[in-house]
Amino acid sequence: MLAVMLVGGIIALINSIPLSIRTIYEYSRESLGVSPRGISDNTPKIVEGILKKTPYEIERKVMCRVSSTQVQSIVGKWPFIVIGMKPDDMDYYLARQYVGKIEGRRPAPGKPEVLITEPVARNLNLKIGSVVQGPEMNDSYSPFPVKVVGIGESKRWVMVSSIEYLRENHFPPIDLAMLFTKDRSQQEKFDRWATEAMKGKRAQLYAFFQIEKQSQEMFKTLYRILDIVIAMLVIVITFMMGMLINIYQSQRIVEFGLLQALGYTKRELLMRVFREVAAVVFLGWAFGILGAIALLKGIEASVMAPRAFFLNSLDPIAFQYTVPIPFAIMLVALFSVSLKFRKFDPVSIVERRLV
Amino acid sequence: MIRSEEASLVYEDHGRMIFACREIDITVQQNEFLGILGPSGSGKSSLLYLLSGLKVPTSGSIWFGDKQLNRLNDAERSGLRLDHFGFVFQQPYLLGYLTALENVLVAFRDRSLEPRARELLEDLGLSSKTHRLPHELSGGERQRVCVARALLGRPMVIFADEPTASLDHKNGEAVVDLLNRHRGSGSLVMVTHDESMLKNADRVVRIVDGQIVNSADGPSFSRTDPAG
Repeated sequence: MLAVMLVGGIIALINSIPLSIRTIYEYSRESLGVSPRGISDNTPKIVEGILKKTPYEIERKVMCRVSSTQVQSIVGKWPFIVIGMKPDDMDYYLARQYVGKIEGRRPAPGKPEVLITEPVARNLNLKIGSVVQGPEMNDSYSPFPVKVVGIGESKRWVMVSSIEYLRENHFPPIDLAMLFTKDRSQQEKFDRWATEAMKGKRAQLYAFFQIEKQSQEMFKTLYRILDIVIAMLVIVITFMMGMLINIYQSQRIVEFGLLQALGYTKRELLMRVFREVAAVVFLGWAFGILGAIALLKGIEASVMAPRAFFLNSLDPIAFQYTVPIPFAIMLVALFSVSLKFRKFDPVSIVERRLV
Repeated sequence: MIRSEEASLVYEDHGRMIFACREIDITVQQNEFLGILGPSGSGKSSLLYLLSGLKVPTSGSIWFGDKQLNRLNDAERSGLRLDHFGFVFQQPYLLGYLTALENVLVAFRDRSLEPRARELLEDLGLSSKTHRLPHELSGGERQRVCVARALLGRPMVIFADEPTASLDHKNGEAVVDLLNRHRGSGSLVMVTHDESMLKNADRVVRIVDGQIVNSADGPSFSRTDPAG
């Protein structure tokens, strides 16, 4: 049970990192970001080229500027962007990001103001009036203190600001574009098409599928190491549990001797052990899963949720990792017990030679 | 019913051959109470294990009806023990986590035997203790539970290996009496070093150094024919 809790807990916590990446940057699922390479004012031309060739219907083109800030994750600070845009574009963008009720207001044009969504507010412990960027904030620099003027309800992580303010105060002086497909379900296909179509061109595209791909590559090595660690853990746990079960079964040698003397075959005794071990091991596994879920729910509620960190307490991958544990323990236990039974003489028991 | 033909059981101890039983010829008749008497280490228990199929003779053969026990595999011998033999051992071995009633039924998967198990416990004076665990029973009571277990399957032969050794004389006599009275048409083969426990035996064989030295009708032990 404890082994299952340990393995399930470790995997779920490790999995929370890529889950965090996907969740924090999920806003990019809604649009394709376009920026120029080499020629700073080339964005409109690149966009024009994409729009001319694309087979997908584009609902809106939003020109924007960005400035950088940071958010907290369980493995430290991660970069995040404040997107500056015009008021009507902002309305569209917020709707597209499922932002419902807004407490406060939208940023005024040209002012050092920002609207954030609720997860960002929770993550950075921000309230209306809090400063998110400023002249003395090295990681979130802005020449003027940028204050939160609105907090929107949404699961998406979003920070939006006035494009005029960013144009006047932030570097580099490059306009970016965001392209939104009319049909949300077509966005990823369009992103992939555009990425392929713009290969080798002087343009940089930002799409959610790339973030997913990068995070998968980033964690590939980590997961390989994790696989080895978990495998070693399973081997150690299996060996220990198998030996403990073997010791327990050895203590019942009188019982087995008696039953064999009375007429049980070795095969029947082994089946009896098998049934008992299977019941113990699989009940232990089931309770371990329940224990792990309870533990992860506790961590999620007390540590993760208050900072908007991500933890899937019902992570199926974490529980898949625990599946070999009961089977491995059973195999080791049964192997060692069957070795014992091979040379087992019930007479030695009933004559009390082995007792 | 059971017969041994020149059956020997030899152990090897540090390269030395030790004869636990040496070329023994003996027959257990149906409905017979056969006592096997001998001092400690004489080979009487080894003979009982040979006759019951718990041990395979090193040479010679053991027959149960037309079945040669030493030609049967482990599963077949186990099946034979379960179906036709009952055992009472020197120590009253009971499973500590089972009640007296469950211990009586332990070898059988057939739950229809439960009424008979209750009946036997009642006959053996344990009707009020059917749901007691072994540690709640006295030594004599535990051995009586073992007797009930041995009798449950209406065995053709009951093998009792020093069943009175861990009991006082009075309790010992009571256990032997119970075995003898409840065996029905089955045979009883009892190993003991206490001659007084065999007063109701139909026949007694003496064994010394793994060999039968004489055989006699009980209780006067007058016969000398070892073949029975």
